[in-house]
Amino acid sequence: MLKSAVLDMNPALLKSSTFANEPKWLTDIRRRAWEKIESLEMPVFAKINYHSWPLLKLAADPSINVSVPKEVTEEAKNYHLATIGQIVAKLDLSDKLKKKGVILCDMQTAIQEHPDLVKQYLFTKSIHFDENRLVAVDAALINGGAFLYVPHDVEISDPINLLQFQDSRQATNFINHTVIVAGENSRFKVLQRSATVGEVANPAHIMVEIIAENGSYVKFSALDSLATQTHAYINRRGYLEKDARIDWTIGLFNDGNTIADFDSDLVGIGSHTEMQTVAISTDRQTQGIDTQVTNYAAHSEGNILQRGILLGASSLVFNGIGKIIKGAHGSKAQQENRVLMLSPKARGDANPILLIDENDVIAGHAASVGRINQDQLYYLMSRGLTKEVAQRLVARGFLGVVLSDIPMVEVRDQMVAMIERKLVNGQGTE
Amino acid sequence: MATLQVTDLHVSVADEEAKTTKEILKGVNLTMNTGETHAIMGPNGTGKSTLSETIMGNPKYLVTQGDVTLDGVSLLGKTVDERARAGLFLAMQYPAEIKGITNSEFMRAAVNATRPEDDPISVRAFLKELDKNLSILNMSDDMAERYLNEGFSGGEKKRNEILQLMTIKPKFAILDEIDSGLDIDALQVVSKGVDEMKSPDFGVLMITHYQRLLNYIHPDQVHVMMGGRIVKTGDDSLAQELEKTGYAGLRDEFGLDVDLVDEDVPAGNGGR
Repeated sequence: MLKSAVLDMNPALLKSSTFANEPKWLTDIRRRAWEKIESLEMPVFAKINYHSWPLLKLAADPSINVSVPKEVTEEAKNYHLATIGQIVAKLDLSDKLKKKGVILCDMQTAIQEHPDLVKQYLFTKSIHFDENRLVAVDAALINGGAFLYVPHDVEISDPINLLQFQDSRQATNFINHTVIVAGENSRFKVLQRSATVGEVANPAHIMVEIIAENGSYVKFSALDSLATQTHAYINRRGYLEKDARIDWTIGLFNDGNTIADFDSDLVGIGSHTEMQTVAISTDRQTQGIDTQVTNYAAHSEGNILQRGILLGASSLVFNGIGKIIKGAHGSKAQQENRVLMLSPKARGDANPILLIDENDVIAGHAASVGRINQDQLYYLMSRGLTKEVAQRLVARGFLGVVLSDIPMVEVRDQMVAMIERKLVNGQGTE
Repeated sequence: MATLQVTDLHVSVADEEAKTTKEILKGVNLTMNTGETHAIMGPNGTGKSTLSETIMGNPKYLVTQGDVTLDGVSLLGKTVDERARAGLFLAMQYPAEIKGITNSEFMRAAVNATRPEDDPISVRAFLKELDKNLSILNMSDDMAERYLNEGFSGGEKKRNEILQLMTIKPKFAILDEIDSGLDIDALQVVSKGVDEMKSPDFGVLMITHYQRLLNYIHPDQVHVMMGGRIVKTGDDSLAQELEKTGYAGLRDEFGLDVDLVDEDVPAGNGGR
C-alpha cells in the first residue's frame, strides 16, 4: 500500500485528539478504532484513485491558535454556531429553542455536558467506526464538530446554521464530526457551511451523522468550499427510521481534491430521502463523489440527483448507488447523474449503479456526460451576451436547479458567487 | 437614422448527412432604414428564415457571396453577439428553453451587455421597465421569474420574444413568423408590443406567410421572396393582392422556375 494511505501510528496523535475530561466510553471507541485502523481497507470510490493523496498525513504535534480571525467573526454573523478548528467563535441559540429542549453546541462541550445523549448517537446508528480505514481514523482522532439535538415534536421554522472553518493557519488536524438528532416527529432545517482559513496544507475530514427518528423531517443543506491545498474526505450519512424524511442539498465547491460519500440508510418503513448534490471541478482538481441510498425497509423511497461541471484539466466522477435489500417491498430508488464538460481536457464520469435484491420495487436511472447545448448558447448570444457570459449562464442554470433548496439567502448568494468565480477562473485557463 | 443593407446575398447550408451544401439564398437585395416597417412574405422553403438567421449571424449558414452591412459596416465577420450589441435583434421562431436561468436575470444580463461594465442598469430601473412591458403584453409578473422559456406554451414563447425586444430596444428587429401559432387575441397583444416600439430609431422586418399579421402591423414595404430571391417589392396592397392570387399566381406572372412546397400537385409528383 502507498505510504500516503497509511497512518503513522504515533500514539501522540491519539493523545492530541482527546477532549478534556473525556468520558471513558469515548476513549474506548477511540482505542478500539485505533486498533483496527491497520487491518481495515481504504474506502473504494469507483474510477477514482486517491491513494496518493495525503489524507492521512496528520500532525502528531498539532498546534492550536486560539485567536479568531476577523473574516471568521464577520462571516459568523448569520450563524448560530461558528467554529474555527476546535475553537468556538460564536454560539447563539435562542432561549425559546433552549426551553423546548433543543441542544446546540460544539462536540467537545456536548461530550462534557450531554455525555449520555452523545453516547447514544455517536457511531452507534448511522456511521460505524470500523467501516473502513478512513472512518476508523476519524473515530480514533475526532477532535471537533457540532452536536444538534432537536427533541420529539419540536418544529423549528428558521434554519439552524452551522459554520465550521478548518484552521490552516498552522499545521493541525481537522477531524470534524457533527451529529444531528431529529427526535420523533420533529421538523427542522440545518445548514452546514465549511471553509478553510490559512495557507498551510492540512487534510480535512468532515463527517456528519443525521439520525432521523420516527416521523421526523430534516432538511439538510451544505456548502463546502475548502482551500486548494486541502485534501478532503467528506462523509455524510443519514439514518432514517419509520416515516422519517431527510432532504439533502449539497454544494461541493472545494478548490482541492475531494472524495465524498453521501449516504442515506432507509431503515424504517415508509422513510424517504431526496439527495441532491452539485459540484464544480476546476484546474487540475480531482473529485470523486459517491451518493448512495440503501432501502432496507418496505415502502421506503430514495432519489438521487447529482450534477457537476468540469473546467480545465479536472476530473469529476459521480457514482450513484441505489441498493435495495431483500425484504424492502414496494420501495423506490431513482437516480439522475449529469455532468457538463466545459473543457476538452477535463474528464467526467457519471455512473449509476443499481443493486436490487427484491422484486416488487421501482428503480431507475439516467446518466449523461455532455457538452454545452449549442442552440442554448446561440440563443443567449443573439441577445448580446458574450460567449463566456452565455456559457456561464447555461452552466449556472445547469446547477441552479438545486439553488432554491438552500434555505439561507446569504448562502445561496455565496453559492452563486462561488459558481461564478469558478467558471470565470476556469474559462481563463483554457 | 441607421441603415441595414443586404446586397446580392448568397447563402448555403451544409447537409451533414449527405456531406453536401445546398444554396438557399441566390442573390437577395434589401435596404431598410430605422423608422420603417418591412414585411417579407413567401411560400414555405423559400429561404425567409435563412435570410433572418444569416443577418443575425447563425453559424450554421454559410455566406458564399454578397454582404450584409449596418451603416455601411459589414457584419459578416462579426459573431452573433457582436451583431446583437451593434443593434440587431431576431425574434426567433423556435426560441431555446433554458432551465435554471430566470427570464428576468437573462434580460438584465442582455441589457447590461450593451452598457459599460462599470455602469450596469440599476435593479429598480430594470424592474420598472420590465413591469411596464409585462403589462403591455398582458403577461403576468411570474413570467419574469420563470425559467427562460422552460415549459412555456407556443404563445407564451412568442410574447416572451417581444418582451425581450421591448426590454433590449435594438435598432433593427427581425420577427421570424411571430404570428405562427398565435390566436387573434395574442396576435393583437404582440402587435401592440411592436407598435409600442415604433420610433424613428427603430426598424422592423417581419417575416410571415400570412397577410393576417399585416392587418395589425402595417408595413411600409412588402417584399415577396421566392426561390431564394426577392422577386417583387411593393406597398401594403401587394400583400392583399397575394392573398387573392397566391404565390403560384406571382410565380407564373414572372415565369419563375420555382417549386412551391405546398402547391397542389398530385401525390408523389407523379404528374411531372
